[in-house]
Order: sequence, then C-alpha cells, then structure tokens
Amino acid sequence: MKIKAKLKKDVTEVKLLLSSPMIGKEEAATKKVAVSYLTHVTAKVGGKVVWEASTGPFLSKDPYFMFNFKGAKAGDEIVIDTIDDKGATDTDKAVIK
Amino acid sequence: MKRRKFLSLGAVAAAASVLPASLSATDFRATAPKAWEAATSKEAIEALFGSAAISEGAIEIKAPKLAENGGAVPIGIKSNLELTTIALFQDANPRSAVAVFELGEGGVVDLQTKIKMRKTANVTVVAKGKDGKLYSVVQKVEVSIGGCGG
Repeated sequence: MKIKAKLKKDVTEVKLLLSSPMIGKEEAATKKVAVSYLTHVTAKVGGKVVWEASTGPFLSKDPYFMFNFKGAKAGDEIVIDTIDDKGATDTDKAVIK
Repeated sequence: MKRRKFLSLGAVAAAASVLPASLSATDFRATAPKAWEAATSKEAIEALFGSAAISEGAIEIKAPKLAENGGAVPIGIKSNLELTTIALFQDANPRSAVAVFELGEGGVVDLQTKIKMRKTANVTVVAKGKDGKLYSVVQKVEVSIGGCGG
C-alpha cells in the first residue's frame, strides 16, 4: 500500500492507495476468478482510530481513499491496517509531514 | 465496559479472524451483514440505519457529470456537519453498499474514493451526525463505459 500524510494548518490530509483486486461474487462468477476484496481498513494515530472504512467489492480495483482529520502533528506516525474477505491482514505506516 | 458491548465486540473480532485493531473499531460487515447483500440503495440504507427519518441535503457529493471509466469513478464527500458515520451506496452494481466510513474525534468530512459503476445510476450518501440525526444526498452519475464485471 501507499500512504501519504500531509499536515495543512491543523488538518492532516491522508491519501491512501491499497492493493486488492476487489472482486465480489458476481464478478468472480463472470470472469471465473476467485472472490477477493478488502472488508475493513483502519487508520490510527497514537493508537487512536482517526478514520476507518468497512468496504465492499464495488470499490475500484486497488482502492483509493482520501480523508482528513484534526489533532495530529508533523512527525506523528499514521498506521493503516487492512483485512480482506479471507481474513488476511496487512499493515503499513507513514510519518505525517 | 458493559458486558453486552464487550461480547458483541468479541464476536466482531472473532468474525474478522481476530485482528486486534477491530476491537476498537466498528466493522459494519459484521454488525449489519444484510446491508451488504441488498440490491437497492433503499434496502441497504434501511438495513444499515433503520427506518428513522432522514433529512435531505447538507452534504455534497463531488462526482463527474459523465464518468468515462466506470471501473474507477471518483466520488468525493464533503460537509460542514459533524458526521460520525458516512455510508456510500449506488444502484449501478448487483448490490448497493460500497463502503461505510467512520470518523474519529477530529474527523473532517472531506473524503474521496473511487468506485465501480457498470451503468448510469444514482449515487447516495447517508450519514449520521454527532446529533444522532441522519442526513442524505443523491446524485446521478452518467457512465459511458461500465466497469463492473458483475
């Protein structure tokens, strides 16, 4: 995944690019491929959840998210956790600039 | 922590193959599974938010008038309201629910994502405010080339 987190005045803007085919059961049947999509994404700063998403297969392939929040400062670390329909997890982090 | 809440959180964690992060988060796939199977936005919204009154407007959907690539239609959501839960639905795919966002304490309602749309359809955002009220907005998005194999 790719994470960019930038502080603008007091608001942190995060751009997140995840990696998943985001294939639901209908698309899997048509294309004869396996179902595979992310079900949940969580963003945390200092152990506190700042943004999260319950997700489904109608997000585009390799889902993109942008979100904003207040309360962080430059140098803080943002941690992103994802989980897919099989329970496979991924995690990555970035420093807020 | 109340026992009932603790138990339901435990169930969520188990359903998500015990991801520690899910203990502090709401997994709407586990708490409202019906919402993700509903074919129409109306059914999905009811499954997720119940049948409480919803006020129109006060939220802005930023989407192209004509999306050239239905595989990745950019959708932006903005509002000056203090919102805690923001759900995105569309009527262009076999099922309606796309994503449910939850904002933390310092959350600013300025979100973007990209969704699949296999045809021209309405995109609906329903959100819950800190005041406990529900708000919604609908916007039609025209798609020239569909992007969902469903």
